[in-house]
Amino acid sequence: MVSETFEPRIVGFLCNWCSYGGADAAGTARLKYPPNLRIVRVMCSGRVSQELVLRAFREGADGVLVLGCHIGDCHYQDGNHRTSKRMPILRNLLGYLGVHPDRLRLEWVSSAESTRFRDVVTEFTQTVRALGPSELRRVREREVVA
Amino acid sequence: MTTDNRLEALREAVAAALADVEGVIALRRTPYGDVAPYLFTDSTEVANLVLEPRYPVPDTLQVIQMAHPEARLGIVLRGCEERGLVETAKHNQVNLNNVRAIGLNCTAEDAEFCRCARPYVGVWVTESVGERVEGVGDARVEAFLALPQEDRLSFWQGVFSHCIKCYACRNICPQCFCEHCALEQDIWVEQGVIPPPFPSFHAVRALHTLGKCVGCRECELACPAEIPLTTLYSLLRRDVQAMFGYETGMDLEATPPFLARLEV
Repeated sequence: MVSETFEPRIVGFLCNWCSYGGADAAGTARLKYPPNLRIVRVMCSGRVSQELVLRAFREGADGVLVLGCHIGDCHYQDGNHRTSKRMPILRNLLGYLGVHPDRLRLEWVSSAESTRFRDVVTEFTQTVRALGPSELRRVREREVVA
Repeated sequence: MTTDNRLEALREAVAAALADVEGVIALRRTPYGDVAPYLFTDSTEVANLVLEPRYPVPDTLQVIQMAHPEARLGIVLRGCEERGLVETAKHNQVNLNNVRAIGLNCTAEDAEFCRCARPYVGVWVTESVGERVEGVGDARVEAFLALPQEDRLSFWQGVFSHCIKCYACRNICPQCFCEHCALEQDIWVEQGVIPPPFPSFHAVRALHTLGKCVGCRECELACPAEIPLTTLYSLLRRDVQAMFGYETGMDLEATPPFLARLEV
């Protein structure tokens, strides 16, 4: 049974100092963006380990969005430097495992960039919607049935 | 050069090195007929030194150095073990300053068996035994990349479904030294499930080899389920090189990418 409209579940890890502020500003400004994003606030995008992203996918996320401060603006100097290396290689790993790499996206959003936040979320939601339900979600559902 | 020549040459090299160091770590045939890592301290013992079966002796170096950090030690290393030690040294698990290494170049058959691109020493080891043979490509990696994208998931599901979660891959790995392993934490890999949840177990392990795995194939040889683990690790190693210009195990000075800041 296939539902007519697939609504993706997207987990967003937002850094407290920049991107969460950006999301907050988007809300204050009454900007409209898709409600598919479930936001998890973390103190730094450097806190988002690769295992955390895998866990989100394992738990049924169709996409994972990691948002952090622009390089050079990190509250902890170089937390986002780490993220900027981890996420691209994790995308490759997902690709090798048969999960579409575009289901994971890393973007920099500052606390002043409310419109950029809206644009990123909107665009990413469209991307994931077009990709359909996560390949891993299908695996998980089979496991539960078995 | 045949294996026998290498063996005799290696025994001589170890005996000669014993004049300089307190002991040389290599494989020994025990009086019971099995083979285990051993610290050779007397040149009369080298008659029991053997080349096969392979076992990662760098772990033994680490254990001895923990108890005797000042000891001047020798060690017999294959090319992969030499490169692996570069990474363990960068992660402060061993100290190579006081180590005299005797390289053991692999034969063409070894290289073929391991699909090894670099079956010889020469990154930091200067002394070596055996002729240097050319490496070979990894046909398994190419075969995997030839799979259509939509078949990859079922490929890994298939091979990982044989996993009995014995942790042999982790335990044998010379690059796995964490005291608290993420693979034993319920939050990252649900415990008590066999085969382990797809893809958490193997994906987490693959991620933890990043910038450290030199492709020595110990995990694959140890795996009772014959999972092609190094296919995944080799792909990631290649990506690390392409993305960060870091060739694992090939440079004693370069900072591993995941420990370094960006250059901005």
